[in-house]
Amino acid sequence: MEMHQWMISYTRQTEWIDKRGILLWIAFYAGGLGGGLYLVSLYFNSLWGMFISWLIIGVIKGGTHLLFLGKPWRFWRIISRPQTSWLARGFIFVVLFVGSGAIQLMLSHWMPGSVAEILFKVSTGILAFGVTVYTGIILKNIKGVPFWNSILLPILFVLCGILGGFGLSVVIALAGGDVNLSAAEWGSRILLIANVLVIILYLFQAEQREEVGKQSVMEQLRGNNAPIFWIGIVSLGIAIPLAIAVTSLVAGEIASGLLVFGVICEIIGGLALRYCVLKAGAYQPLVAKAQ
Amino acid sequence: MRWGMVVDLSSCVRCFGCVAACRIEHYLPMGITWPKLVALETGGDNPTVSTYSVRCNQCKDAPCVEACPTGATTRRPDGIVVVDQDKCVGCRYCVVACPYQNRTFLSKDKDQGFFPGRVQTDFEKAGKKLYRHQIGTTEKCNFCVERIDAGLAKGLKPGIDRDATPACVNTCPARALTFGDLDDPDSEVSRLIRERGGFQLHPEYNTDPSVYFIDGKIGKTDTEPASRKESEAIGVPD
Repeated sequence: MEMHQWMISYTRQTEWIDKRGILLWIAFYAGGLGGGLYLVSLYFNSLWGMFISWLIIGVIKGGTHLLFLGKPWRFWRIISRPQTSWLARGFIFVVLFVGSGAIQLMLSHWMPGSVAEILFKVSTGILAFGVTVYTGIILKNIKGVPFWNSILLPILFVLCGILGGFGLSVVIALAGGDVNLSAAEWGSRILLIANVLVIILYLFQAEQREEVGKQSVMEQLRGNNAPIFWIGIVSLGIAIPLAIAVTSLVAGEIASGLLVFGVICEIIGGLALRYCVLKAGAYQPLVAKAQ
Repeated sequence: MRWGMVVDLSSCVRCFGCVAACRIEHYLPMGITWPKLVALETGGDNPTVSTYSVRCNQCKDAPCVEACPTGATTRRPDGIVVVDQDKCVGCRYCVVACPYQNRTFLSKDKDQGFFPGRVQTDFEKAGKKLYRHQIGTTEKCNFCVERIDAGLAKGLKPGIDRDATPACVNTCPARALTFGDLDDPDSEVSRLIRERGGFQLHPEYNTDPSVYFIDGKIGKTDTEPASRKESEAIGVPD
């Protein structure tokens, strides 16, 4: 038997990031990326983009989240109770997105321009937004982890997902797909700057909130998470894509390989962001420690 | 009716009796404990160790109930928050949502037996038959709800009759744990909270826990129990 010393100091949550929690991290990111790509693809009316986002959400997001569950075959219990929590609503968004998206893809392929296609695009778009935003709402609602209690978190997750969506749209355009490359690049640039601003605001707000929030920010900047934060988020996720974006803006045209490299960096940055947010989420000590 | 518990911090002798009693009562796998002892040092140059016996707080406004996507976690009319392991999907949202960190996900590595790789003890074999713990679901203290229900069916009074009282309360040799109805102003728990300044952990979360603590001396440097007089007054042994 042991004394639970861990309850008197800041303890980070482990269930949703350590060991099998890695699956949930991937699921959370894939949900944001897939949803963001679908919304961007709606803007470009890109069938390829919609199909890839459908695969990302249906296979990667749905698959990893199911694998994470302790009793995956009971998942139907989650989707039958939307009134319970945002986790249930998120699962429902995913299931409905997969169904509605499949019908929309078929309609777009065989009956383009029909009223049914437009209706399904609207409904699937709403569901894609739901898939993108719900993970942020889940974290925001957790009372015991001050680092997550911010309305900026769902906003950040949505912006990060749309940024990834624009990035993948660039790749689709370079591969000869149905996306306007120049518009996709502009979207990436704007979303990149928006992401940077929201990340700074989010960290600043978390640092101001409570002592444990400050600890979480310190963990990002100077603690065990620092290499992932500085290399993953700042260098790969922001600096390199920003440098490529500025270069392409100034030079007018740059090598396709460099653009693809920038998109890969963006995706690694998005993954690192989710990882750091989950990893740095810490609880208040259960019992206030003596001064 | 709302069942609740009062933990007298000045009486706890850190014997781990509550932890052991719970393990025996519920045949808990070795990797998990429902009640826990939180130890912390108080006092600068002349430190003493305070011990909090903590368990699920059976919150009135429980974050775990709000979080559970399947309805596996529910709050009974008597205030006890229970987990139906047959409905639990193992999403661990409740584990993360509990601000008191009082829930545990039972993974395979937490249920490897008392002697991993060896034959199971008779106690473990009996436990597998009598109290099924499902790997891949979450668990927590349930105030020995089986004892309470069985006791009430026999006309017994939880907190007074031992057969209807949680095992940890029965076992505590220092009588640091008291169980009873928080809604009854004449119950022992209500009296202790009223007269000895019962407090809840983290009231700022607005969860209204059903577990109260009395005689906390966090941050104080006195070496004497905080309210020896009161302890003596109700017959708590030294």
